Amino acid sequence: MDTVSPVKSLTRRISTTVAGVAGAVVLAGCAQNAPQDTWKPKGDNAQMIYSLDKLVFPIAGIVGVLVSALAGYIFVKFRDKGQAIPAQSHGKPIVEIVLTIVPALILTVVGVFTFRTIMDLAETQDTEMIINVTGQQWWWEYDYPAQADQGITQPIITSGQLVIPEDTNVLLRETSRDVIHSFWIPALNGKKDAVPGRIHLLRMQADQPGIYAGQCTEFCGLSHANMRMEAIALSKEDFAKWVANQQKAYTPPAEGTLAKEGETTFINQCSRCHQVNGIKDANGKAIISAPDENVYSGAAPNLTTLMTRNTFAGAMFDLVNQKCRADVWDAKSEEFGAKYLAGVSEDCLNEKNLRAWLRNAPAMKPMYADPAKLEKTNGLYRGMPNLGLTEDDIDKLVAYLLTLK
Amino acid sequence: MITPGSKYFLGLTGLGLVSAVLYCFLVNPSDLGAYALFGLFISAALIAGFSIFTSDGDTDSVAEAVEANTETTAPSFWPIVFALGGALTLLGIATNEIVFVLGLAVLVGGAVEWVIDDWAEKASADTEFNSFVRHRAIGALDYPGIAAVVLGVVAFLFSRIMLTVSKDEASIIFIIVSALIFVTGILLAAKPALRGKSTAIISVVGVLVLAVAGIASALNGERKELVKYAKEDPYSISHRECGKEAGEHYDHEANGSVSLRSGVVATIFVEDGKIRAQEVGLKRDVQAITIPRSNSTTILFRNLDSEEYRLVANLGEAKVGTTDVMEKVGTCTQLTGKNEEQALTVTIPKPSNPEAPYTLTVPGATGEIKVVVP
Repeated sequence: MDTVSPVKSLTRRISTTVAGVAGAVVLAGCAQNAPQDTWKPKGDNAQMIYSLDKLVFPIAGIVGVLVSALAGYIFVKFRDKGQAIPAQSHGKPIVEIVLTIVPALILTVVGVFTFRTIMDLAETQDTEMIINVTGQQWWWEYDYPAQADQGITQPIITSGQLVIPEDTNVLLRETSRDVIHSFWIPALNGKKDAVPGRIHLLRMQADQPGIYAGQCTEFCGLSHANMRMEAIALSKEDFAKWVANQQKAYTPPAEGTLAKEGETTFINQCSRCHQVNGIKDANGKAIISAPDENVYSGAAPNLTTLMTRNTFAGAMFDLVNQKCRADVWDAKSEEFGAKYLAGVSEDCLNEKNLRAWLRNAPAMKPMYADPAKLEKTNGLYRGMPNLGLTEDDIDKLVAYLLTLK
Repeated sequence: MITPGSKYFLGLTGLGLVSAVLYCFLVNPSDLGAYALFGLFISAALIAGFSIFTSDGDTDSVAEAVEANTETTAPSFWPIVFALGGALTLLGIATNEIVFVLGLAVLVGGAVEWVIDDWAEKASADTEFNSFVRHRAIGALDYPGIAAVVLGVVAFLFSRIMLTVSKDEASIIFIIVSALIFVTGILLAAKPALRGKSTAIISVVGVLVLAVAGIASALNGERKELVKYAKEDPYSISHRECGKEAGEHYDHEANGSVSLRSGVVATIFVEDGKIRAQEVGLKRDVQAITIPRSNSTTILFRNLDSEEYRLVANLGEAKVGTTDVMEKVGTCTQLTGKNEEQALTVTIPKPSNPEAPYTLTVPGATGEIKVVVP
């Protein structure tokens, strides 16, 4: 019976493991359903980065393979076998000149194209629309200053999903209310940090209607991995409809309905932090929320048109059920706008997610929202606390929130 | 080995610790007395450690050390220093905390040096050896200590002079003095022969001149504007005077340029007596700017007119403390000259109310810019 030496056995195991990991990495590159794929540009800015990648990656790849192969060859060829130390030589001018000039040339070529791309990505002269993007633990807020030429006559505020018109040069003005975050929609552009006290500019343009997924890429605390974002590109006509809907006046629920009772519950429980524009108290006075008194970042998502979005809680959870979500995500470009603008209907509502969130938000998404552990933030929450709502309250709130479209 | 010298310091260590603990329990653990006694404890422990470690300076001579030095010792000035420290400490208790702390430092320093001197004089019958032992025990601390005191006094006196003369004179004096130090340093380095008595005499004369000038300056007092600023904080919000005219305090030393660029959300211009605004990123004038809620936001103000203007942010009203009394909330830049600019940073926690919008105005110029907080 043949025996395998321990050394050979170990070598075989290592080789098998390395081959397995390398195979998995290679196969991962073949994923079809990868909405955050950096090599599937859907806009001019991402295309610029992709074009640079196409130049740099082959060069870097060839250099990497050559250097690794050479290093491997030397490791094996000159490994210690008890032989005398080989003759040492240095100072061969031709070798040194070549090894200096070749990398310098490679870096120069890469540098020229990289620098040009960076400058092109920093261009703001062609801006057609601006949007303020504010990060906080752990969601993104988008507010649209009034821009008559884009049909925005009053400021719009939303969160989770950034809605932009197709083929329009949008300039995002990023900042943060608490710690450093980073905004990244790979299909539309590279990443840009959102830093408290600073305004960082990021170009955004989408070739055609669709949903483009993104992810906060600067570690920002407990729920960093759950701080997502989605950019929604609509045709210009659909964008105008979206704007009109966002700017329409608030319509309170009809008297005697469950939703009306939900409005009262919302006023009592939720309006301390969440603003619904136009909502009034029993005396007819406009209710202005005060998240600055309850939340560390000083802000909570504005819910005026909550049901025009597909997601909530920092784009972490779907507001629509699986079937309706697939309808929107998989819609053809020309049908996408109508499907997205339909918003969340009663049939499409993902009640399970919404109810679970209302029942105990910190159980769904890790947050610093334990009332007993708020010494460091002087009693202010980071994230939504468990409000201790009853199932009755939740029924009413769900009915009310469904009217916010 | 517990040597004769270390016995003394160990005793002092124990006394310091017991006194400090008793003081904490019987008087007050957080006042100066406790710190001083703990300081005594730590200092004595340190010296006791040194003493044990060095075997009173020399292991071979410990046996000889019992033979007391019968020679007349050199006169010591440490008792005088110690007495001066005691006097200053008492004076400080009655007058000023700084004098008290200074007195305490002199007292402790004098006591330590005196004790070491006394101990070293009795270390052996050999005066030269005793001097060596003393130097070994505490010499490493003498020069840095004296240098720190001298440098502190020089810096203090020099600062008195600089605070008395005008800003321009201060600049000239600073240049001359630093140049003199630089040239002297080069000369001393290049010509070692100069490092003699004459240099010492020049140094002493220089320190005396500095002392006289410093004391005279201190008696004369600081220059007028510093006295005024000390009494009134010109940058305090309570002194902001946001009208068209120059304020008595707020508009002093106004800056005309801003280095902060990355946090600017919009630029407000005054041109031909009219106010206009541009949002960063949009190359056109707007009538309203939008800023995020509850976030520190900077607005740039640029005056293109020859007349001086300031930018005023009118941010509604707020309750005064817990009362129901309402007062106007706002802030403003200093007066800004032609082609100059200033930054105004605001944080607005509440969304804007269409019935009473937040605005930016420039007293003396026409127009206003609405500030929208969604």
